[in-house]
Amino acid sequence: MFKLRDLSIEFLGITLENPFILSASPSTDELEIAINGLEAGWAGVILKTTSVEDNPVPLKYPMMSSFGNYSKRVLGLGNIDLISKYHIDEVEKRVKILKEKFPHKMIGASIMGSKKEDWQNLVYRLRKAGVDIIECSFSCPQGSMGEAPGRMLAQSVQATEKVTSWVKEAAENTPVLIKITPQVTDIVEVAEAVKRGGADGITASNTIPSLLGIDIYTFEPYPTVFGYSSYSGLSGNAIKPITLRTIAEIKRNVDITISGNGGAYSSRDAIEFMLVGASNVQFCTLPMVYGFRVIEELKRGLSHYLDEMGFKSPSEIVGKTLEKIKTNEELIILDFVKAKIDEEKCVGCELCFVSCRDGGHMAIELKEETRVPKVNEEKCVGCALCMQVCPVDAIKIYERKINIEHYYIRK
Amino acid sequence: MNEKDFEKIALEWAIIEAERCLYCFDAPCEKACPINLPISNFIYFIKNKNFKSAYELVRENHPLISIAGCVCPEEILCQTECTRGKIDKPIKIRELHKFLTEYFCDNKNLSLPEYKYEEVAIIGGGPASLSCAFYLRTFGYKTVVFSDTELGGIPLKEISNLRLSDETLKRDLDFIKENFIFKFVRKRVENLNEILNSFKAIFIGIGLSDEIELEVLGKDKEGVFKAREILRKIKRGEEIKFGERIGVIGGGNVAFEVANTLKTLYPDKEVIIIYRRGLTDLKCYPEEFERAKKLGVNFYFESIPIEIVGKEKVEGIKVTQVSLKEKDKDGRRVPKLIENSEFIIPLNNIIIAIGQKLEETIFPEIQKENGLIKVDENFMTNIKGVFAGGDCVNGGDTITRAAKEGKLAAFKIHEYLRRI
Ligand SMILES: Cc1cc2nc3c(=O)[nH]c(=O)nc-3n(C[C@H](O)[C@H](O)[C@H](O)COP(=O)(O)O)c2cc1C
Ligand code: SF4
Ligand code: SF4
Ligand code: SF4
Repeated sequence: MFKLRDLSIEFLGITLENPFILSASPSTDELEIAINGLEAGWAGVILKTTSVEDNPVPLKYPMMSSFGNYSKRVLGLGNIDLISKYHIDEVEKRVKILKEKFPHKMIGASIMGSKKEDWQNLVYRLRKAGVDIIECSFSCPQGSMGEAPGRMLAQSVQATEKVTSWVKEAAENTPVLIKITPQVTDIVEVAEAVKRGGADGITASNTIPSLLGIDIYTFEPYPTVFGYSSYSGLSGNAIKPITLRTIAEIKRNVDITISGNGGAYSSRDAIEFMLVGASNVQFCTLPMVYGFRVIEELKRGLSHYLDEMGFKSPSEIVGKTLEKIKTNEELIILDFVKAKIDEEKCVGCELCFVSCRDGGHMAIELKEETRVPKVNEEKCVGCALCMQVCPVDAIKIYERKINIEHYYIRK
Repeated sequence: MNEKDFEKIALEWAIIEAERCLYCFDAPCEKACPINLPISNFIYFIKNKNFKSAYELVRENHPLISIAGCVCPEEILCQTECTRGKIDKPIKIRELHKFLTEYFCDNKNLSLPEYKYEEVAIIGGGPASLSCAFYLRTFGYKTVVFSDTELGGIPLKEISNLRLSDETLKRDLDFIKENFIFKFVRKRVENLNEILNSFKAIFIGIGLSDEIELEVLGKDKEGVFKAREILRKIKRGEEIKFGERIGVIGGGNVAFEVANTLKTLYPDKEVIIIYRRGLTDLKCYPEEFERAKKLGVNFYFESIPIEIVGKEKVEGIKVTQVSLKEKDKDGRRVPKLIENSEFIIPLNNIIIAIGQKLEETIFPEIQKENGLIKVDENFMTNIKGVFAGGDCVNGGDTITRAAKEGKLAAFKIHEYLRRI
């Protein structure tokens, strides 16, 4: 009923109707499911990573486990999935069907190969099928095929550059995205290699190698395949801070288009990804957990945000935050940074007291008469631990000399 | 739904509820709890799925923990103080507490000290006495409990099964009987001299066993009962023949307990509470009043009974209406009769619930005040070494308060014995 603003955004020459894409995942691994996703309003899909016909894909089930608190909210998902069991012959057909059915949506496909001719073959065939964009999985935590199986391609700068150039050579004008991993010593080096290899953009990033948990009664690690497990790829909200840093770090150092991916769980998260430089945001775990219907929150949330902030188009927010990210040395040192408690707001839990006592600088004192604690300015260094624990945001940090207050609502 | 499923749901619920708790420092809920249960800690343990340890925490701190979980009026105690209530809704503390005692009752692995001190006598077998025995045992005393009835007091004899199941009750009583009582003597002690020479310290926790009578004409008519007598009969499963309209006189917790129990057991009968003061003067817990309203109990406020009418059997009660304008020195509104306002409420039965008192003849050597046993700040009576606590001292309050007084008295007894 209410009108949404125009959310379209350009991405490597493709016009996306909104910045939200379904990433290579189970949600894009069946034709019918992918169709449902696009019909629900997602701007595009990247079909789950495919390979050449003779590449075996030995899937193990069960393959999923989750991470969260004990009330079982899924904050993170861990999977030991591999690439799609569908090979390129099937994916070619799907690209054609999808392109025909959704001419205005972005139909992308993800590939993984071992030899040069495999990578290039996959590209030729997808191009012929009419794909809009090709993403290369260099970062499946279950490992790549080829020269160093078990290791992620994007963990090697040389291999990244080399394989990227193979792919780009074959892709010609079709845009190529390289999907990297944050699990490297220097993400900038990898991004530079991607650029040197000639790719059009980077998907930053992917799931992160992890061990999801252990059943303390049977000693079985999760996700347990009838008693045994291996490391799994962690996705979902739990990895959002890592992805944010990855995108920011690439964008600050390398001039390349970025598709943000890994941990976005809401319109706010997506906006954050864009603020550090992503041109669009891919989602996997969120729709896997709650369904495609979450696209409504993403679209409406972004639309209202743009209105509220007076932006005309989503592209205007891309990279807005970057200039505010500095190195530690570059940050200024202020000398009168203190905590201040808003007595009106305080509900008297005294959590600030106990955390400052045991993890701050013993600067918060209890008062006899009320439960509203008091900051001892002599002792307070303004570390802001208290501000993090306050359940009602009653604590601000201020600097007296230059008279500024700093205060944020916890996400 | 089978029991296992139910447990699972309770578990999920408990964790979600526990996650709402802020884990306040020096938590106000704990301060409001008469026995200072480590509430914030046990909730924190629940949140981390460490249920057994949570159970241990409450068990170590309250000897009648299962009973309290069922009948503690949490809305006037811990929950009103809960910080979370200032943000949205208070944590359902009693429900969490009840959840723990229902699903994680595990009394194995108790660690009690060797007996190292003398025997202490405890007279009475209700919450105050049991609590006193519990703590004395943890210090290393041998406790000898004298009671003319089974141990358990009001919870055992009078609180209806609707609120407190036998199974729950048994959990607490067995725990105490098996582990904390050295000897149980089934005997009525009427005169302290009988045992004064055998013990250096005695604790009296006999409760209030007599009921205050309603001084009106016709009070001996057939069909008039005392409230606690009715509660006891119900608890024992005795059949009582009631007419269609039952009047309950009084405005306290016992009156409401009777009215609510009767209305639950006999939903087709009319149950009417008759109280001389007004709605705002009720002495029962708000929760009980709400329950009464929901059950369909009727009320006559500002009505003072003056005569029970009928031939031999009750046929009704004549009441006079009052006005409540002036306040007495305690700030309570004083009922003033309104002239010519008498009318008769037709009733088949009348249950009197206007209060309890100490047996008049009990322990003549002990000093009393306002019909209650008088103690000093150390819970000691006028006789050296004789302590008292619970309803017989405080005039009747919560089970948790009685347990708390038993606990405090135990500390004082320990102090006293180790010093003389
Ligand atoms: C079960 C599962 C299977 C996945 N399979 C692939 C895949 O075949 N190729 C790929 O590039 N990424 C794959 N991913 C990674 C997702 O595309 C995405 O990068 C990752 O889940 C992080 O995003 P999220 O936090 O929004 O889920 C998979 C993720 C999951 C959970
Ligand atoms: S800012 Fe740090 S030192 Fe100051 S009161 Fe808060 S926790 Fe304590
Ligand atoms: S943490 Fe916040 S609400 Fe709690 S006592 Fe401190 S200022 Fe008050
Ligand atoms: S007062 Fe409420 S929020 Fe605070 S510790 Fe107690 S139960 Fe938790």
